[in-house]
Amino acid sequence: MSLAAGPGRGRKAESKDLELVVDKHVAYVQALDTRRGELEYHLTEHLRISGIYWGLVALHLLGQPDALPRDGLIEYVLSCWCENGGFGAAPGHDAHILYTTSAVQILAMTDGFAELEAKNANRKRKIADFVAGLQQTDGTFAGDEWGERDTRFMACAFITLSLLGYMPAQRPNDNPVVNVDAAVSHIRACQNFDGAFGLTPGAESHSGQVFACLAALSIAGALDSTLPTSAKDRLGAWLSERQQPSGGLNGRPEKLVDVCYSWWVMSSMSMIGRLHWIDREKLVRFVLECQDPDEGGIADRPGDMVDVFHLCFGVAGLSLVRYEGLVEVDAAYCMPKHILDGVLGR
Amino acid sequence: MASHGVPRVSGTATSDKSVAAKEKEQRQIAEYKGLEKDVIDRIKGKDFSNDTFQATSRLLQQNPEYHTIWNHRRILLQDVFRRELASGNSAVITTQADEAHNGDVQAASKAGLTLAQQEISLLLSEDLAFLIPLLKQYPKCYWIWNHRAWLLAKATELLPVRTASQMWRGELALVSKMLVLDSRNFHAWSYRRSTVEQIELLEGKSLAEDEFAYTTKMVNTNLSNFSAWHNRGQLLPRLLHERQATDEERKTTFDAELELITRALYTDPYDQSLWFYHQYLTSTLVISSSSDANGDARRTNILAAPISHVTSIAYLEQEIASIEDMLDGAEDCKYIYQALLEYSQRLQELADGSTDIVEPSKMASWLDEVRKLDPLREGRWLDLAVSLKL
Repeated sequence: MSLAAGPGRGRKAESKDLELVVDKHVAYVQALDTRRGELEYHLTEHLRISGIYWGLVALHLLGQPDALPRDGLIEYVLSCWCENGGFGAAPGHDAHILYTTSAVQILAMTDGFAELEAKNANRKRKIADFVAGLQQTDGTFAGDEWGERDTRFMACAFITLSLLGYMPAQRPNDNPVVNVDAAVSHIRACQNFDGAFGLTPGAESHSGQVFACLAALSIAGALDSTLPTSAKDRLGAWLSERQQPSGGLNGRPEKLVDVCYSWWVMSSMSMIGRLHWIDREKLVRFVLECQDPDEGGIADRPGDMVDVFHLCFGVAGLSLVRYEGLVEVDAAYCMPKHILDGVLGR
Repeated sequence: MASHGVPRVSGTATSDKSVAAKEKEQRQIAEYKGLEKDVIDRIKGKDFSNDTFQATSRLLQQNPEYHTIWNHRRILLQDVFRRELASGNSAVITTQADEAHNGDVQAASKAGLTLAQQEISLLLSEDLAFLIPLLKQYPKCYWIWNHRAWLLAKATELLPVRTASQMWRGELALVSKMLVLDSRNFHAWSYRRSTVEQIELLEGKSLAEDEFAYTTKMVNTNLSNFSAWHNRGQLLPRLLHERQATDEERKTTFDAELELITRALYTDPYDQSLWFYHQYLTSTLVISSSSDANGDARRTNILAAPISHVTSIAYLEQEIASIEDMLDGAEDCKYIYQALLEYSQRLQELADGSTDIVEPSKMASWLDEVRKLDPLREGRWLDLAVSLKL
């Protein structure tokens, strides 16, 4: 086998007939939890629940939603629940909005909310209260009790609350648990002249933050009122300039391309209806070149180490551009669209 | 798990590793798990001792992404602060200290600190120093930046203004160093802005002039640094406001800025960063329906407001002419055609449907060039053709 693992192995020699190695990717995700003999497995425990979310999204989009055992997933997620209502990344870890979002997304994908409520009643409400409790007077959300804040957490908050059915618009007869208008105004303040968004007001535009802000606006139902056609054109122009001659996308002007921006940039373009402003074929080819064709997984760039994070966002990006055979992804949630249609009743 | 820019050196399978390497890895895992268990057991048992604190240091050095451990570390620090403040060392000691603490007392007295504050200040400084090598090794780790921000917020909360502001000043110097290592690190730029804001609050004076000079230095070192250009654009309106600049002075500054970026563009018209700054400058000329519908409240102008249509039109015409000149020798640069199209479109909007200022045939030929040079964004150019009615 001349293609055996070795130094510097990247793309296939004959890259004309590149295709998505679906079975290899499924096997790659399935094998992730068997790697306890590696130090890296233990050093990444603080991300475990997000890792499961990334792997599960990839499996769903690849059409193999049951490739990981459902009961085991739900049991693990529930074991990460903290008394303050949030979830940590692993049992015994402190709660944080990032991991709370991943946990709720996994429960939505595994249809596990009944098991959550069976643990003790009102747990959905407790999670919603944890998230709502992180909102500050200026509309932003902190990540946890220690107070770090940025636009990413607004997307996390709205994704989580909507999946739990606690966005104010979903409960018109109850007192709203969060101030949506304050959050939306803050997002507007984070917009720059180039139409894109930064981490905080005055911060440089960054595609990751663009995704976070558009996802939050979209879930809040404030996307079109915030961005009229001309603003979408401006933002779309900035986003489309992220595509580089290799076909890959970068996160900011004059930075390196990276597979994860296939997601942050393209989902944003999709939310504002400008996805056709970049070259689909070249992008697809770039993502496929970042695969490990033998053992599965996708890397940030061809030839680099693969991981489940880039696998998730690479596959999600391919789904967004309707790569053949993939399940359709939702641009704001990065989850299978059909699941959201069910959970959100839309 | 999310590895960026790490070359793939071997397969994922552990079977590739030698027996010795596997054994070594098992030892490392056992050691790491042992240390982790030790820290967690100590925290559970409310052992808030210096030993526990040192154990968190060792664990975080191995794994600075482990946010729960940073939380534990803050709990330990808070406990020491509480004890110090409760210990009665709250008077600013001037004289008559006991022999043993003479050195500390003198130092504290000199800085105008209570003994408790002196201890807290020392702890904060030590922890800030502990983070520096970690930050250099993991410059994109959110948790390290967060922990620094927390430490400094504690300085503001618990120490006299002068001491706190000294610490924040030190922080500004550190951020500058980090930006020498990576001039685009957005954590560092964002952290820099909040650091400056804190110093301004503590010292009651603006740092806008210094920060503006810093961006000048940064873009002179490397023109292709959009982060620096961005910050410059943020500072400019504020700077002019603080200078209480006259209309004439505003015009002089604006012209100088346009000249600076135009010269840079002549040097490298293929650099996106420069075009975005040029766009920023011209975007302050017109607040038309095409700029944005919501940012107006925080948009402060560089030129004296309100800017007349005549002035805006004159500037746009001047820029279009200057950009057209750039084509000489750079006919294959798509950004030039994009800018010509964009500014012409804006000019047309300003002219408000009166006679065509830019000939449609010219616009059509620019669009043709862009389409030829930039097939990646063909969909965008087709949409533009429709909206320009070309």
